[in-house]
Amino acid sequence: MTRRKRMLKDLDQDLRDHLEVETQDNIDRGMSPQEARYAALRKFGNVTRVKEETRAVWSLAWLEQLLQDVRFGIRTLWRSRGLTVVAVLAIALGIGVNVGVFSVLNGVALRLLPVPRAKQLVSVNQIFRGRFSRDIHGEGSMFSYPEYLDYRDHNHVFTGLVAYEPYVEATLAGGNVRQLLGASITCNYFDVLNEHPALGRGLVEGDCAGANAVVVLSDALWRQSFAADPSLVGKTITLNRTAYTVVGIAPAGFTGTEAIPSEFWAPITMEKALEPGRLRIEDGNQSWLALLGRTRPGVTMQEVRADLGVIAARIDRQYPGRTTSLAIRTATFFNSPEERGLVISVASVTLGAFALVLLIACANVANLLLARASVRQKEIALRLSIGAARWRLVRQLLTESLLLSLAGGVLGSLVALWSFVKIMEFVTSHLPRGFPTFALNVAPNLSVLAYSLGLTLVTGIVFGLVPALQSARLDLNSILKGDSAHGGSGKRSGRWLLNTLVGSQVAVCMVLLLAAGLLLRGLYYAQTVDPGFDEKNVAQAFFNLRSQGYDEHRATVFIEELRQRIAALPGVVEVAQAECAPLAHDFSEGEFTVPGRAEKIGIEYNHVSPEYFSVVGIPIVRGRGFTAGVNRDASAVIVTEATAQRLWPGEDPVGKTIGAGGYRYSVIGVAKDAQVSHLGDANTTYLYYPAAPRDDVRTYLLVRYANGFAGVAKGIRVASQSLDRDVSVDVIRLADNLEIWRAPSRIAAGLSGALGALALLLASIGVYGMVSYSVSRSVREIGIRMALGANGADVMRLVLWQAMRPVLIGGLVGVALCAGVSQVLSSMLFGLSAHDLTAFVCVPLFLLAVGLMSSYIPARRALHVDPMIALRCE
Amino acid sequence: MSTKEQKDRIALLQGTLDLLILRTLQLGPLHGHAIAKAIEFRSDDVLQVEQGSLYPALHRLIKRGWISVEAGTSENNRRAKFYRLTAKGRRQLAVETSKWDALAAAIARILRPAEREGEP
Repeated sequence: MTRRKRMLKDLDQDLRDHLEVETQDNIDRGMSPQEARYAALRKFGNVTRVKEETRAVWSLAWLEQLLQDVRFGIRTLWRSRGLTVVAVLAIALGIGVNVGVFSVLNGVALRLLPVPRAKQLVSVNQIFRGRFSRDIHGEGSMFSYPEYLDYRDHNHVFTGLVAYEPYVEATLAGGNVRQLLGASITCNYFDVLNEHPALGRGLVEGDCAGANAVVVLSDALWRQSFAADPSLVGKTITLNRTAYTVVGIAPAGFTGTEAIPSEFWAPITMEKALEPGRLRIEDGNQSWLALLGRTRPGVTMQEVRADLGVIAARIDRQYPGRTTSLAIRTATFFNSPEERGLVISVASVTLGAFALVLLIACANVANLLLARASVRQKEIALRLSIGAARWRLVRQLLTESLLLSLAGGVLGSLVALWSFVKIMEFVTSHLPRGFPTFALNVAPNLSVLAYSLGLTLVTGIVFGLVPALQSARLDLNSILKGDSAHGGSGKRSGRWLLNTLVGSQVAVCMVLLLAAGLLLRGLYYAQTVDPGFDEKNVAQAFFNLRSQGYDEHRATVFIEELRQRIAALPGVVEVAQAECAPLAHDFSEGEFTVPGRAEKIGIEYNHVSPEYFSVVGIPIVRGRGFTAGVNRDASAVIVTEATAQRLWPGEDPVGKTIGAGGYRYSVIGVAKDAQVSHLGDANTTYLYYPAAPRDDVRTYLLVRYANGFAGVAKGIRVASQSLDRDVSVDVIRLADNLEIWRAPSRIAAGLSGALGALALLLASIGVYGMVSYSVSRSVREIGIRMALGANGADVMRLVLWQAMRPVLIGGLVGVALCAGVSQVLSSMLFGLSAHDLTAFVCVPLFLLAVGLMSSYIPARRALHVDPMIALRCE
Repeated sequence: MSTKEQKDRIALLQGTLDLLILRTLQLGPLHGHAIAKAIEFRSDDVLQVEQGSLYPALHRLIKRGWISVEAGTSENNRRAKFYRLTAKGRRQLAVETSKWDALAAAIARILRPAEREGEP
């Protein structure tokens, strides 16, 4: 029994006893029993009220009032069903898109790794400061193998520490040659992650100690390439020319610890065989390994930081001038500071944009509530005048708006969580070829639910607070006197509020639409921009022969033979070779010196065969191109026009010299500028070296054909396989590279276009609602004007002007805001100005037209007001 | 009549009644009716406390821990609840009494300035 119940149990009896004693006293004083009882009751006061007040002492008054408010709120909302439905839908829309976007971000960046007890897993990254030089393969914040050993052997906080090289490419030889993506791992990987293979075993320490050629395959690879054959465990497969014994199949659903799923896991000590020609494992000053540790039970993040910090400081002593700080966090799919920086900036821009839509929805609902509050003014005024506390009233109105937002939030979240799974499937299945697929789980979890609940509550308070405060500040006299058309919350401040709400909606809408307009213009520009080279009718084939165990000599023989066979294919015009194919996201940059200049200049470069320029259609505008025969042009380079302009402005670049790595090169020609490394950026400094035999171990073949890509692609594959059936070859159109560049801007433009349309819809509803409402409130004024002989055009002008003023002001604010922030979009615009005039003229005009339309329709109604009815109205 | 005045008056009554109850219980535990009688008697019937309002006040004081309640038998052999001042309540009574004295003196100084001037 609670204290409350115990204390109140005998209350009735106590009061009865009290009255009896008092009555008895009165009788003793000589009153008749009847009289005595009345006197006692009179002296006691209202028994029921006393009971209520006593109970109130012990009750959770706020809870009871809340329940009252909720009941009353539901009744009120039920009475005005139309408004409720509109408001709930608007909020559902706003909250829904936000929750959907958040669930995607959560799936990408916040969700813990999908392994048992993932909370114990921490990622470790290092951030270097000071003077240092270091080889980087992957992210700069990664570790070298000796560093890993140091952390593994000297920490006191982990039960286990794992290192792995993410994204190792390997060619799976056999029936169908395939390019795989996997990871080189330390052999405690599966034990520390607590992932036990569904079939066979994981890797064990012995595998790493002896550099065993063993491998664990992913469930997906096992099913796709080996038909889920259970006898595969124990058999050998060939990865990059080395035979590996398959010792286990990872459980279904485990795709590794990186965002892009891994298909195999091999011991890190097999690195030499997996990636021939590299010897990273012995290098102490090379970033290439990601670290994941499982903390001992009860160890805090601070203890981990302190413990590992000691080791970091000790390692720093070997590198004078360098200080290392460690970034330690609970492990997710995106751990390194570089990745997190990118994800967080993209996330905040996207969430910001979607939050703006929610803001418009809120403003709309606030509008509706304000309009309704004016209808309810009499009710509210009455309640105030018979003694309701203002704060109590505000609380009750807020309860109503929170009910609205909860209904909307639940509805929106449910729809969003269901639909975004489908949308993500749609988006991932429509990404262009070559775009990586992510191990993305957008299913809701606790943080998504918390986010949607928080958003819902904030929303309810945001749109409810202003109307609630407004209603509680009524001028009681004029309302109760029935002067409802002009009384109320002070007509002026009410209208001011409405106008502000409409203006801010229009401003926000303008920002979103302008951004969408800019992105669409950028997309159009990207689709139509001339990249400066001819991507049509060119096939691209990539060969990584080094990973296949080829040395330079064998690679040259292979490539020479292959080029001859391809050149002989029907329909092939010319074959060229390049270190980096145009727009293949494959960049090389070096530092160059120019005689007479002190500073070093960073220039991107490429090694190309003489045919390159004609195959991709980049003309040589001065001097000459490379000629066949290796030795002649060994120290020659060809620069682009932009490079020549930058290095030797106003001079003839042919014959000039340029230095790099201790060698001197002379410029023999100038090529026309082309956007070969970054689409939309023609001004990159760029130069071409002649291709040498050592470039053959990793090279692109570019094949210009007359007609029929399919035939040529098949011919290239057959030619390559006939030379070596285990070499994997990936043939695509050169034009596909452009698609990959354009895809992000297409997605962004599509998304922002949809968002802008949504915002426009909401904002025009808002303008329409505001104008209808203010027209309905000034029916009497209009009636008087008409009765006094004002003509329709005047009234129209008046109503339209009143309606359009906030639209105009909001629009101007929106344009100014967008001009201020549009710079963030510039990377998506492919060289288009962030203040592109077309977008900045067309979008505001469009929005203005929509605003005018949504004011015109209700304004026209005002003209058809019969003066007599208007005057009698109210 | 506006809401504000009404609220002030209730607050004043409440505080005063609490003080009177605490003072009454200082002499020893009493049951509800006896407290009402004692207040009436000791104020020469000047303070007509609405007896019912005693009960919410008693419960409020119990909740704050200033008084405690125990079962007992009244003078005419009836089962009754006796209210007793706690140590905390005793301290509170001292605080409230001195506050009241200060208030009363201050108000008296304002209401009777002439008499003060006349003092030697």
